[in-house]
Amino acid sequence: MAVFDTPEEAFGVLRPVCVQLTKAQTVENVEHLQTQLQSVSDSALQELQQYILFPLRFTLKTPGPKRERLIQSVVECLTFVLSSTCVKEQELLQELFSELSACLYSPKSQKPAAVSEELKLAVIRGLSTLMHSAYGDIIVTFYEPSILPRLGFAVSLLLGLAEQEKSKQIKTAALKCLQVLLLQCDCQDHPRSLDELEQKQLGDLFASFLPGISTALTRIITGDFKQGHSIVVSSLNVFYKTVSFIMADEQLKRISKVQAESTVEHRVAKLMVHREADWVKSTGGKLTILIKKIIECVSVHPHWKVRLELIELVETLLLKCSQSLVESAGPLLKALVGLVNDESPEVQAQCNQVLRHFAGQKVVVGNRAFADILSENLHSLATSLPRLMNSQDDQGKVSSLSLLLGYLKLLGPKVNFVLNSVVHLQRLSKALVQVLELDVTDIKIVEERRWNTDHLSASPKTSAMRPWSQVQRRYFRFFTDERVFLLLQQVCQLLGFYGNLYLLVDHFMGLYHESVFYRKQAAMILNELVIGAAGLDVEDLHEKHIKTSPEELREIVTSILEEYTSQENWYLVTCIKTEEMREELTLKQPGFQAITSGAHNTCQATSLPAFSKPSPTICSMNSNIWQICIQLEGVGHFAYSLGEDFRLLLMSVLYPVLEKAGDRTLLISQAATNSMMDICHACGYDSLQHLINQNSDYLVNGISLNLRHLSLHPHTPKVLEVMLRNSDASLLPLVADVVQDVLATLDQFYDKRASSFISVLHALLVALAQWFPDTNHVGQPQEHTAEKEESHLNQRILENNATTAEDIEYFLLSYLKEKDVADGNVSDFYNEEEQSKPPEVDEKDTGPDVEPPLPVQIQIATDVMERCIHLLSDKSLKIRLKVLDVLDLCVFVLQSHKNQLLPLAHRAWPSIVQRLTNDDPLAVLRAFQVLRTLGGKCGDFLRSRFCKDVLPKLTGSLVTQAPVSARTGQVYSHTLAFKLQLAVLQGLGPLCEKLDLGEGDLNKVADACLIYLSAKQPMKLQEAARSVFLHLMKVDPDSTWFLLNELYCPEQLTPPHPSLHQVQLRGAMGQQNPYKANVLCLLQELP
Amino acid sequence: MAAPPPPSPDPQFVLRGTQSAVHALHFHSGAQGQGCPLLFSGSQNGLVHIWSLQTRRVLTTLDNHGGQCVTWLQTLPQGHQLLSQGQDLRLCLWDLTEGRNAVVDFVHLESMGFCRGSTLAMGQQRWTLAVPGKGTDEVQILEMPSKTSVCTLKPEADAKPGMPMCLELWQADSSSRPLLLVGYEDGSVALWDISQRKVCSRVACHTEPVMSLDFDSQKTRGVSGSAEKALAVWSLDEQQALQVCRTHEITNPGIADVKIRPDHRILATAGWDHRIRVFHWRTMKPLAVLAFHSAAIHCVAFANDGLLAAGSKDQRISVWSLYTQT
Repeated sequence: MAVFDTPEEAFGVLRPVCVQLTKAQTVENVEHLQTQLQSVSDSALQELQQYILFPLRFTLKTPGPKRERLIQSVVECLTFVLSSTCVKEQELLQELFSELSACLYSPKSQKPAAVSEELKLAVIRGLSTLMHSAYGDIIVTFYEPSILPRLGFAVSLLLGLAEQEKSKQIKTAALKCLQVLLLQCDCQDHPRSLDELEQKQLGDLFASFLPGISTALTRIITGDFKQGHSIVVSSLNVFYKTVSFIMADEQLKRISKVQAESTVEHRVAKLMVHREADWVKSTGGKLTILIKKIIECVSVHPHWKVRLELIELVETLLLKCSQSLVESAGPLLKALVGLVNDESPEVQAQCNQVLRHFAGQKVVVGNRAFADILSENLHSLATSLPRLMNSQDDQGKVSSLSLLLGYLKLLGPKVNFVLNSVVHLQRLSKALVQVLELDVTDIKIVEERRWNTDHLSASPKTSAMRPWSQVQRRYFRFFTDERVFLLLQQVCQLLGFYGNLYLLVDHFMGLYHESVFYRKQAAMILNELVIGAAGLDVEDLHEKHIKTSPEELREIVTSILEEYTSQENWYLVTCIKTEEMREELTLKQPGFQAITSGAHNTCQATSLPAFSKPSPTICSMNSNIWQICIQLEGVGHFAYSLGEDFRLLLMSVLYPVLEKAGDRTLLISQAATNSMMDICHACGYDSLQHLINQNSDYLVNGISLNLRHLSLHPHTPKVLEVMLRNSDASLLPLVADVVQDVLATLDQFYDKRASSFISVLHALLVALAQWFPDTNHVGQPQEHTAEKEESHLNQRILENNATTAEDIEYFLLSYLKEKDVADGNVSDFYNEEEQSKPPEVDEKDTGPDVEPPLPVQIQIATDVMERCIHLLSDKSLKIRLKVLDVLDLCVFVLQSHKNQLLPLAHRAWPSIVQRLTNDDPLAVLRAFQVLRTLGGKCGDFLRSRFCKDVLPKLTGSLVTQAPVSARTGQVYSHTLAFKLQLAVLQGLGPLCEKLDLGEGDLNKVADACLIYLSAKQPMKLQEAARSVFLHLMKVDPDSTWFLLNELYCPEQLTPPHPSLHQVQLRGAMGQQNPYKANVLCLLQELP
Repeated sequence: MAAPPPPSPDPQFVLRGTQSAVHALHFHSGAQGQGCPLLFSGSQNGLVHIWSLQTRRVLTTLDNHGGQCVTWLQTLPQGHQLLSQGQDLRLCLWDLTEGRNAVVDFVHLESMGFCRGSTLAMGQQRWTLAVPGKGTDEVQILEMPSKTSVCTLKPEADAKPGMPMCLELWQADSSSRPLLLVGYEDGSVALWDISQRKVCSRVACHTEPVMSLDFDSQKTRGVSGSAEKALAVWSLDEQQALQVCRTHEITNPGIADVKIRPDHRILATAGWDHRIRVFHWRTMKPLAVLAFHSAAIHCVAFANDGLLAAGSKDQRISVWSLYTQT
């Protein structure tokens, strides 16, 4: 389509159409005009504006009934013209405004005319476009008092539409138009901003509409949630823009007392409002009611955009109308604060931003009125909080606590005004303590036990997250919603951050002491207070706030920890103790009572019941477990708060925490491990091992001091055990030191507590054996000789295969020669061996003359072995078994120090023999293990004793047991007797080899074991018996061969040379021989 | 607060890690406001350990005595300087300012023995030092830091008190004349006037060698311990004559060290019987027997804030807070 740029061309085109329209006012003609208009350029259209408008306005003004469709198309066409041109004459503007508004007016009723929705929409758009097309200054002059009635009509029309229409489109358009009409439009088309005077004039003008607008909008806002959020959002928008414009402090302070003499006619003047103080006050009061209504409704609106708009409203009103709407400040702040923890992150972010903005601009703190309002709100909230916490459901608690949190955030350091009031602090703390009450009825807490004691090796998680984000699940009596707990945590942290920490810690410490019922909650609160005070996770809204200094914080933490780890708060009854523990409790009590009664009356009241009850209830034990867990968690929190500074506190804290890490109650040991992780993170240790290792000196200090009072600290040996497991050889001096204490204490208490000490000694020797693996291993030379023997054997076999008589002669000769050598008739062939001897002698020579100080580990092992000798004959089997284990390790550690080992072995021997021969089978098993180790380390020393004291017994028992085991079925393999047989058979072989037994003894062994080669014996015993013979073969192959062949001879022996006699062995060839399988198997092994 | 069980109080903490018997201890509170309090310990193997009482760990180890036992440690009043006397016949002066640990000077000693030295400040930078001298019964007085020998105090020929076992230099408030108390091998304590180089007074306190002595210049009363089962308290009258006031019997023989607390209220002894004994200084009433060590105690020391430390042959140093526990 061609575009007509010049007015002349355009006129040529448009003229017929306009004329046509003027003659016949039909929809078609209007539409035709509009189509033509589209081909006219904007500038041309501007020139012809009046001309084109004329037929359109004429159509509107023509009296008589008109079809709606026509009006609608006229209005649409008008809107099109206006959107492309601007109105330059005020008169035209006013007239068009009236004509457009009149389209929706039905003279009969006072309500908007019942016209079609399309028409309403068209009119609204037309009005909106008209206001936008007003050129420059005429828009200002348009708003003169005389326009007031017409404007009022339009406003009420639009409000009516917005409120009563069904169509969302119309409602939105009406609200939008209203905004434009009130010059609060936020689009870019308005050429200039208004100066102060103009603003004031407009304000005066609009003030008349304020009651109508505000009430109507409030009705819309508080209407049904179903009407859609966009309506509410725009209504809120119009509401706060209008209110903040009319009630702006800026304008109001310029209003003079006396109303200026108005030049307008009386009728209009009556409509005008003079915004003087009284009016402001009464309007403010009325608005407050509306605002409260709005807040009440909108703050729980399900759609987040609505709540977001509410924040906007609060911000605008508080910023612009803080004086005029002073009464609303309270509700407004409350609304803002309540949204701090909104579930929508956008709302939360916006809210925080506004709060920060307020804090930054000192809107609240700088404004006394606001600060007072806030403190007052906080006061009243604190007062009602205990009741609210008691009566509200979880959702209610969440909102109450959110509110509390918001107040704290907003007040910042000024929170101290509230805290300094004893009554309010008490109220606040009472509410917190009350709501934090734990549910302690769950039996699982006591029930869950930790059985594996070695799990400390857990590596710390390297996540950057706060380690206790996976905090233990707690069950509270008064709420189940996790959010409530999180809010409470934040509240406490904020209190710690802004409040006077000394005051708060003092107060909650008081509660902690006051009653056992408050103790857990108070501890929880204290933990969070310290975290808050460190200011690590708190977002500071008040930049110039001075935080608690690290030194002060450390002092406070030290005092709290002292309380936590004190005897009466740390060592609580958490399980029904075994007999011995209870005994010890009663032992402990008198002394304890004597002390507490003097010093701590408060503690006595609370802690003694726990001690004196012979069997505490499950609830009280649960409660104790939680208390310990919370305190342990506190240790972790404190470490986190102090960071590296916490290292200084390790000397007093690490020991108690480690002790709890070994607690049998699952929850406690978990909590302790977690808190140690926290310590690792805070103090920069890589792992728990590292932590323990680096601070062993502190641990040793605690251990050694507690060992002195073992009845009060029965777990001390356990801590040492853990420490030993996590240390390395570098700590040997420290360990040596504390071992002296342990041994001294053991000597003192060996009848009562030997078992815990023995396990320490066990751990100790395991550690020693690990730290000092013997370098010159005794096994080495033996293997060497074995190899030699083997080659020797091979050689002989070769010879065996040869069949000449010379060979046989040569073999016999060399055999005799070797036998000579073996018997000690040394010939000069073997000078190598002789040469190897002198250096050994040298080494030994230096020994006795100048005794060099023994290595520490040897000294320790010697000392321990000494004790073991005494304890070997302990009454309790359990202890005897453990002692045998320890003894075994001692022998291992001492193996290279024969001077120490042999005398001790000599002294231990009688007891070991006793264990081997006259004890419970279990003990025999272990003792046999010791014997094997001992045999491996000092064979010569043991040989004759073994043969004399032990061997007869062993072989005897093997022989007597053999028929038994041969007869029984599968069940037998589960009996102790079987295990014993097995162990003896398994052990005998290596022992015989290592002890280098003589021929006679070997024969005894062989005789006893032969029976077990029978196929009637259980399979395992057969295997074990075979192993004995395998070892015997190494010692004396020939006689073993002979012995086996005597049992069962698989093949006819052919002499190597015909000149030799035929040999017939006793072994039967028959298939029924029960020894056949095993003998065959063994003979195969024998080369 | 942890409830100390009735039988015996515990040390506040124990320092481990000298790996050798401890023979000398000295507290150093540090200048006002800078650094935490320190404890110096000298051990059998010739090392001097500097312990931080805050972390309870060794800060530094000084090694300049050739593996020979360190018998005496003393800081000088003018700041971070430490004297250490070893059985390698050297008395080292260490500079410890700002974390340094260098020997700045040393005095060659002429007598081997266990006799510890003694110092007395004479002015801003000058101080007097008493050490056992060349002859077995002599005491040498030096002026420091110039190391010029002032005199040698040798008992009269007929006295035969044996070797000096312990020394204590002091100066009455009223006079400027330095005096020296010497405990001798024969069990006597003598007061020397250094400027006149003569014995003012001598009194036999013990039948065994005097192992250590301490003197309270306010009350002009001193106490000495010896190898026997008694402590002797003696006083000095205006004529500078020593008199034994009383002796106090103890259960087991052997007092290796005796120290009066800086506030002159209590007194602690280091016993060969592994025990520390605490007495009321004025009345000599026994206040406590502290049993912790498992071997003879060689030395005790008091800090200005009341801490008591004891070093023992069992290689540990126990630190006690007497205010809270006695």
